[in-house]
Amino acid sequence: MVGILAASERQSGVQETTVETSLAEETFLDDDFLRQLMSVGEVDLLVGIPSHNNAKTIGQTVVTIEESFQQNFVRDRVVIVNVDGGSRDGTSDVVLNTPSPRSQNPRGLTTLRTLHRITTRYANQPSPGAAFRAILTAADLLRAKACAIILPEITNFSAARVKSLLQPAYRENFDFVAPLYSRPKHDGLLARNVLYPMGRAVFGQRIREFNSGELGFSGRLASHCLNLDVWHEESVRTSPEAWMAVTAISSGFRSCQSFLGPKVHSASSSGSDIVTAVREAVGTLFWCLESQQSFWTGRTGSEPVPTFGPEHELTLEPVRVNRKRIFDLFLSGAAGLSDVLRSILTPETQAEIQRIATEDDRKFRYGNDLWVRTLYEFAASYHHATIDRDHLIQALVPLYRGRIYSFLQEHHDSSAEDIEAHSENLCLEFERQKPYLVERWSAK
Amino acid sequence: MKEMIVRGLQQAYENMVHMIAEFLPRFVVMFIIMAVGWLVALLLKQLLRAVLHLTKLDRISEESGASQVLRKAALPTISELLSRAFFWVIWAAFTLVGISVLGIPVLHEQISRLFQLLPQVFIAILILFVGVLVANFLSRAALLSAVNAGYRSPRLWSGLVRFVIWILAVTMALEQIGLAKETVIAAFSIFFGAAMLALAVAFGLGGRDLARQVLERRLGDDRKQENEKEEEPSPL
Repeated sequence: MVGILAASERQSGVQETTVETSLAEETFLDDDFLRQLMSVGEVDLLVGIPSHNNAKTIGQTVVTIEESFQQNFVRDRVVIVNVDGGSRDGTSDVVLNTPSPRSQNPRGLTTLRTLHRITTRYANQPSPGAAFRAILTAADLLRAKACAIILPEITNFSAARVKSLLQPAYRENFDFVAPLYSRPKHDGLLARNVLYPMGRAVFGQRIREFNSGELGFSGRLASHCLNLDVWHEESVRTSPEAWMAVTAISSGFRSCQSFLGPKVHSASSSGSDIVTAVREAVGTLFWCLESQQSFWTGRTGSEPVPTFGPEHELTLEPVRVNRKRIFDLFLSGAAGLSDVLRSILTPETQAEIQRIATEDDRKFRYGNDLWVRTLYEFAASYHHATIDRDHLIQALVPLYRGRIYSFLQEHHDSSAEDIEAHSENLCLEFERQKPYLVERWSAK
Repeated sequence: MKEMIVRGLQQAYENMVHMIAEFLPRFVVMFIIMAVGWLVALLLKQLLRAVLHLTKLDRISEESGASQVLRKAALPTISELLSRAFFWVIWAAFTLVGISVLGIPVLHEQISRLFQLLPQVFIAILILFVGVLVANFLSRAALLSAVNAGYRSPRLWSGLVRFVIWILAVTMALEQIGLAKETVIAAFSIFFGAAMLALAVAFGLGGRDLARQVLERRLGDDRKQENEKEEEPSPL
């Protein structure tokens, strides 16, 4: 990828035209966006905001990010890059026209640099992968040293949140900064029961939030990811963050975690719909297993990653859950999909699932051992493509519901420590059974 | 009198010998054509099998669920099945050419009709295969969607999708070989129209509440959507 002209070089109009032509030829970005990038020159820090009809909230997001720049990165060259997926409510205008805050850092200094904002429309329909790619391309062209992605739907975040994502990559030389959140104990159960323990056991690093829209990364990692020929893949298009996390681990980049505060769910995020969330998150995890198999098949155990701020926090605030409906959906799924499950699971595992489905709902338990075996057999069947892969992931949804019903039953009154201990046991079970995954994965 | 009988017998014998002398080489030629056809068909079968293996048709068939149906019917893999069908079509073609060498006028006419039908039969078989693939894929997609959305009788929906696509495929296949064209199309139209009418009536009379719920959901009753979301904890 072509680099952008240094500020001193941009005095010559001839040089600028040459580079502009070259950039236009080698990137998928439009000319107007390239012109905006060139007018910024090189930067130290870049914050990307992927948006789609966020006019109501994005102004506050931009202000908070600039406050963070003014308070924490006074001497650094910074830019906010808004990539828009076809908003019709004037989101881009809000980004450009919202007045900058006038805040000082704790030592009374105001920023010494221009706070740049640029915006582009990457498509007429939102696409996380295309938005991510546009941000990475901007970071690469501007030679940003550290980058962060902030979601515009989240309004009540502080300037410290932006700093927490940028600082480790900028000052501590980390390449991938995963967020850590404080969550209610019944929140993020897919991450707790599948993504974290399985990702940890398979890829060997204890990153809790594989699949968060907020993250930080270095310019090195951005350039590396940009040059990989994967952008047409469905998994990268739907969950580019998870793919970047796995790429960072498997390519030997330095990863860390940084505590951001409470997890805030946006109303429009797909995370609130179980079927979509499972299809996207688990689909991406399985695809990463497939694409990185040479990396993980020989590995055992897992290593902790450096963490900035407190470890994962659980709060005990109640979450409204209709447990009966979850259990009913598990039962109807286990019965209705028996033919489909037969082509995915071993007869023993399927028989065990059918057995627990006959249990009384108060005694029902989908234990760690069975859950890990189920997921590993699903992953191996995904690898062998025993049925259409999207169908395979969808067939996991009822079983996941059974598992979370079991989790909710078991931990209705548990303390945060009990839940953490349970999560750790699940992680260890995933690590213990990893040879089984490798065996089934390699089976002809 | 006796002389006439002997002459008649002699004539009949000579005719028979003449016929055999004329027929036997044709018969041998027919066998040679059939044998060569068998070898050519075998060769083409192996070639097709290799090509289908390269195109990973079996994997697609496995993924779509068609292989499962074939296994249930104790049939081999789809590439093997296509290869065998191709073998028989080729060999049948050679056999028909061989039979036509015999020079029997009635057979000749029938054979030329069969020849015209052969490519259509092969296309009809292909249509049926594609129909099975599509029916399995879409019926499984319907089953998964219905199960995950918590609809009642998901297998019924899945079976309905499969049945409609099979009917469509069979109709197309029969139309391809020109078998009772009008009857098949009329039967399909009547069946499809009746099924749709039955569904519409059933939905209208028995599913007014469901229709209202669906419309409310589609037309954006946000409060209801929020309440539904709260029934399951956020996964991410």
